[in-house]
Amino acid sequence: MRIGDTGLKWLFLAPTLLLLLFIVVFPLIWSLGLSFCKYNATRDEPPLFVGLQNYRRLLSSPDVWRRFTVTGRYVLLAVAGEFALGFGLALLLNRRFYGKGLITTLFLLPMMFSPVVIGTFFRFMLDPNWGIVDHVLSKLGLPRIAWTSDPRFAIYSLVICDVWIWTPFMILMTLAGLSTVPPYLYEAAEIDRASWWLKFRYITLPHIAPILILALLFRTMDAIRFFDQVYVLTGGGPGEVTETVPFYIYKVAFSYWRTGESCALAYILVIVIIGLSSIYIHYLNKVRGR
Amino acid sequence: MRRALTALIALCILIPFPAAPAEEKVTLTIMWADWEPAHLLLKLAEEFTKETGIEVRGNFVPWPQYHDKMFVEFASRKTSFDICLPDSQWIGEAVEGGHLLELTDWIKEKVDLNNYPEMVIKSYSEYPDGSGRYYGVPGLLDFVLFAYRKDLFEDPKEKEEFKKRYGYELKVPETWEQLRDIAEFFTRPEQNLYGIAMWQAPLATAGLVDEFLGLFWSKGGRLWSGYEDKKVVGYLNDEAGYEAAKLWVELYKFHPPGAANYSVDEVLTAMQQGLVAMAAIYAAFYPALTDPKKSRYADKIGFFMSPAAVDPSGKKHHYVQLGGQGMSISAYTPHKEEALKFLEWWIREETQWKFAEAGQITPDKRVVYDDRFLKLAPINEVVRKSLPLLRDFWEIPEYNEMAEYMSRKLNQACLGQITPKEAMDDIARRHEEILRAAGYYGR
Repeated sequence: MRIGDTGLKWLFLAPTLLLLLFIVVFPLIWSLGLSFCKYNATRDEPPLFVGLQNYRRLLSSPDVWRRFTVTGRYVLLAVAGEFALGFGLALLLNRRFYGKGLITTLFLLPMMFSPVVIGTFFRFMLDPNWGIVDHVLSKLGLPRIAWTSDPRFAIYSLVICDVWIWTPFMILMTLAGLSTVPPYLYEAAEIDRASWWLKFRYITLPHIAPILILALLFRTMDAIRFFDQVYVLTGGGPGEVTETVPFYIYKVAFSYWRTGESCALAYILVIVIIGLSSIYIHYLNKVRGR
Repeated sequence: MRRALTALIALCILIPFPAAPAEEKVTLTIMWADWEPAHLLLKLAEEFTKETGIEVRGNFVPWPQYHDKMFVEFASRKTSFDICLPDSQWIGEAVEGGHLLELTDWIKEKVDLNNYPEMVIKSYSEYPDGSGRYYGVPGLLDFVLFAYRKDLFEDPKEKEEFKKRYGYELKVPETWEQLRDIAEFFTRPEQNLYGIAMWQAPLATAGLVDEFLGLFWSKGGRLWSGYEDKKVVGYLNDEAGYEAAKLWVELYKFHPPGAANYSVDEVLTAMQQGLVAMAAIYAAFYPALTDPKKSRYADKIGFFMSPAAVDPSGKKHHYVQLGGQGMSISAYTPHKEEALKFLEWWIREETQWKFAEAGQITPDKRVVYDDRFLKLAPINEVVRKSLPLLRDFWEIPEYNEMAEYMSRKLNQACLGQITPKEAMDDIARRHEEILRAAGYYGR
């Protein structure tokens, strides 16, 4: 029996497609089905179809909205911080100087560590009794701060940790964008005696805008799914001031074992992420179209 | 080509297949929290291996991840362990899911239940309470006790100053009110010394509720109307409940800064570093405080039992919060016979003595009420006194959400976000919601 070109193509593709179907598509469809059921994965009882009840209950629960507010606040602060710092540092690094390669590599290191390890280190460093941060603050004559357990500061402890990890990503993306700006444009601007601001506004920014929007899109999507450091650093506390939506989904799924409800909340989060991504992509297309 | 193929086939025929093992060696895996008693159990199990030839290994998980790891494995209906030691309050969740092997007939045949206090059997072995159905044997006895700095409590200057201020002798507190006074007395931020450290984290396991309930019960508090009808509003948030929450929130003022997230490690560290005068711990953690390699104040630490209290009507109550674990068998193990042999070895008086001699706590009355036991560990006098006062909380599958909510709301009260009364009212309301959603009120 001879296998034709098309048959051979499908034969080679089949293992990958089957694997993807098994580990990506099947769980997605299965969990979507469960989101319409009352189901506890630890019980030996089949899922009970309840229609939109899980969605209705979640969307009308003030507890869930409070967690969306926490997540929104966290995403806004963290992504804005990473963007401002990363962009600024990239502009500083985008010039020739001795040791540039080494310094750029050192800046990128935080991104290479495990977030759980970083979270644990930050927990120790931010401890008000024996942490290095408060020790330095007290040496400077400033008051000690209970970073992870004071409701006023707990969210900032997460933001600081996330900014430390992910600012290098912004640096990397901005540097990549800056390398695409043709040098002759700056030379022409120099001849026209354009100021630093004019060069930045009319040459640099339009060239790197698409890559910056892409970087913001990646970071926003990732920050919304933020879980590791909350789990390690604050455990959602004090009270519930740092309980983000993904952390709450984890609790509903694996502590309370309301499997159906946790699937529904995960899908609500996916819809939010898709919505936000669409806004970014809309702007990305607009910038590209100019 | 043909020659090469023939040579290959000949080679395959000539290479002898390895002989099948005469009998496969069984290795039992025990899942427990990653702590001192687990490592000790594994060491003692070497004797079990010598006796039976059955190997034993451990699968130990840090406390904060322990519950989730165990139940994720249960949910997959296949476990990497044969024997497990679920925390006492998880028994309902595990039994209702069908994850533990029922041992009722085996226990009736092999175990003398009179060797254990009734509360221990109810919490570690039986589910539902009073049903006569058993799913484990008592494993490790654990409960809340307090550690204190003897050097501070016995200092004549401190004693004199305390008496002048509070009008009575400074000694280990017998009531929660005395504990409050002592905590206040030793709170001296300028010396980097604080009165007390207790678990305050908003967690279901190793969180606030684990240590709050000793105070709550001793103040006359009730979690619900009873196991049968489970009404919460008006019971949990009665006068006694409010009083208990008020005192707990007051005690928070005497904690070190940042104590709102304190769990096992933070409280132990605070005591090891001499940051606090007193700390509430679960008894099995005591070696971390008396080991000079871990604790700067190892030789200056003493222990006292969880105090009594007076309820709003003036009646005195004394309860101690039970912790600890039973030893159960996974319903999914292929080595049921071997696991039962291990349980039989574990409950022997001789094994329990060895466990106690190594410094850990057994619930076996034959050991605890023998005077030799008192000399085996610095906490053993407290163990004996606490044994009749033990009380445990909900064991129904919904316990995790109920405990977590209670911890979170009281944590908010400690931080001044809500009042203790608001916290208790909210907890009562939410507990009824959880129980209603689980279908208890329609049954």
